[in-house]
Amino acid sequence: MPVLSVRDLSIEYRTRRGPVQAVRDVTFDLEQAETIAIIGESGSGKTTLAVGLIRLSPRSARVTKGEIRYDDGKRAFDVLSLDAERLRRFRWADCAMVFQAALSAFNPVINIWEQFLDTARAHGMGDKHKVHDRTRELLDLVHLDPKRVLTAYPHELSGGMRQRVLIAMALLLDPRIVILDEPTTALDILTQRAIIDLLRELRGRLGFSTIFISHDLSIAAELADRMLTMYAGRVVERASVDDLFYRPRHPYSVGLMRAVPRVSGAVGSVVSIPGSPPDLIRLPRGCSYYPRCPFHIDQCLAEDPPLLRVDTPNHEAACIRWEAVAAALGSDAEAPVAEKLA
Amino acid sequence: MSAPLIELDRVSRTYTTPAGTITAVDDVSLQLGESETICIVGESGCGKTTTGRMLAGLLRPSSGRLLFEGADVWEKKGNDLARFRRAVQLVHQDPYASLNPTRTIAQTLAPPLAKHKKAHGRAARAAMTSLLERVGLTPPADFLLKYPHQLSGGQRQRVSIARALTVDPRVIVADEAVSMVDVSIRISLLDLLHNLATEFHVTTVLITHDLAVARYFAREGRIAVMYLGKVVELAATEPLVSDPAHPYSTALIAAIPEADPTITRTKKRVALRGAEVPSLLNLPPGCVFHPRCPLSEPGLCDVVVPTLGDLPGGRSVACHVALRERQPAAELLGVR
Repeated sequence: MPVLSVRDLSIEYRTRRGPVQAVRDVTFDLEQAETIAIIGESGSGKTTLAVGLIRLSPRSARVTKGEIRYDDGKRAFDVLSLDAERLRRFRWADCAMVFQAALSAFNPVINIWEQFLDTARAHGMGDKHKVHDRTRELLDLVHLDPKRVLTAYPHELSGGMRQRVLIAMALLLDPRIVILDEPTTALDILTQRAIIDLLRELRGRLGFSTIFISHDLSIAAELADRMLTMYAGRVVERASVDDLFYRPRHPYSVGLMRAVPRVSGAVGSVVSIPGSPPDLIRLPRGCSYYPRCPFHIDQCLAEDPPLLRVDTPNHEAACIRWEAVAAALGSDAEAPVAEKLA
Repeated sequence: MSAPLIELDRVSRTYTTPAGTITAVDDVSLQLGESETICIVGESGCGKTTTGRMLAGLLRPSSGRLLFEGADVWEKKGNDLARFRRAVQLVHQDPYASLNPTRTIAQTLAPPLAKHKKAHGRAARAAMTSLLERVGLTPPADFLLKYPHQLSGGQRQRVSIARALTVDPRVIVADEAVSMVDVSIRISLLDLLHNLATEFHVTTVLITHDLAVARYFAREGRIAVMYLGKVVELAATEPLVSDPAHPYSTALIAAIPEADPTITRTKKRVALRGAEVPSLLNLPPGCVFHPRCPLSEPGLCDVVVPTLGDLPGGRSVACHVALRERQPAAELLGVR
């Protein structure tokens, strides 16, 4: 039973030039204790989708259709139909979000303990001692020393420590879902490694589900169970992490894989994706990846292809040329894409 | 290597802050030959940007010398200095901030062409066209009259490179020049910079925190790894990446997540003794890495400051233990 079911979700931004179709007909399920990574370039709609899931989008955004069904076994509802008060409780208590470890994620004039207390009070946890115990427990869990951190102000902490505090704060109300938006992007390598290991440990221990937005494929390779590739607002491929990395079937997923240089193994042939993403106000006819796609044929212009089942029942790609992609990659099970096409 | 084109000779740079004096770069030497590609790699605060700015002659070292064609740059005057200024160009990290938003691309490129090459009118236009072609902004006519806000991040970065090329530089220092552009087009920008070295014999220095980017860019060149103001390892790229000699580089490479689920989930790690990076205001005695280093030996590493020494295979490393054992740290730590 999925904890979150998203159906045909479409979100657009109003602009002077016309509506920007940032998210188009996105459908997916998030299972209990599962981690889904959403990958794509900037402008692919991944962040709009993530903040849309907790209805935190800016005012210029509008959900034009779809459903976001939450079901934790005890309560079930459509997030889009919640009134303001129930939405406020859903955010953080059921579904928390961790942003990039920027200072702007904190209130700069109160210390870390007060940040925790603020959040707890806003959600009806009035007993200061209980909140204090819970906060210490959480800081222990993210390997921070409560004595040192609780009285500190946000600017006194390093980026890595701030990210740990944000993760601890996200877990304050024991949410079933944690959404992470580029959780390690601004961090140094060793700090990033520590945060990845921490997320893996917490997930195993607490059993929450995770949705993870990243432009960094390697972090997805570390943490994801399943992957969604987004392009021009649509999910163009949905697969297990191994299928997406070793047997991608949408040319855009293949392009992303080939664009990433590696530290270990063969250098392989690394190439950028030519061109740039389409204008989301005036989407091209047919498949929106057509102008950049090395596999395209005339038929691709006929319609924007729906997600098609490829290879196995749990693998879908929105590409009528997926068999040609499969043939080009060959059957070598676990070689990286860049080596297969070298 | 033949006589170096540009050289940092034991440069240091200190800053005075209200909390005390910090040494952002400490006794760094680096010799770069013509058309060489080199990456300076390290985490934030390691001094890589300060080193790059000193290399570009934009920041005067507190001690040590910057040499260009064997002559001390900070002793240069007049035409000599102007020639150096033209010869070394910097490409900045943020293409949204480094281009004047009120100028078209043509207005950005024309002044340096007029000043340094006396190219005006039709000659200037021809020069701009060929520059834009060289950086892959084609057809050039489509770009000349555009403003920066009409271009993508990658295109802007290409304009920055074209602007650097207006004066026919011999050296380009690119500071995190690809970290703000999308993953999907990073490689094409790196290829462009790389071509400058191979086709036009420009010495190219890329400063980056991303070792995968460094490995790709400097694949025929070298990598210098910096930690807390010091170069801790300097070697040809492939040996450095596959068999790092310094325990810090070893730990970095072992910690990097890879875009391959099997490799990244089974990679051998290096357990550091401490997670905290010491403050530049209060550096540990001896080797600055010793409080975190799994190879640290009491009485040696916490007392004596190591200097760069040579290991077989033409690599330099500043590590007492690796140098004594004559083996790279990756082997000593069993993560090769």
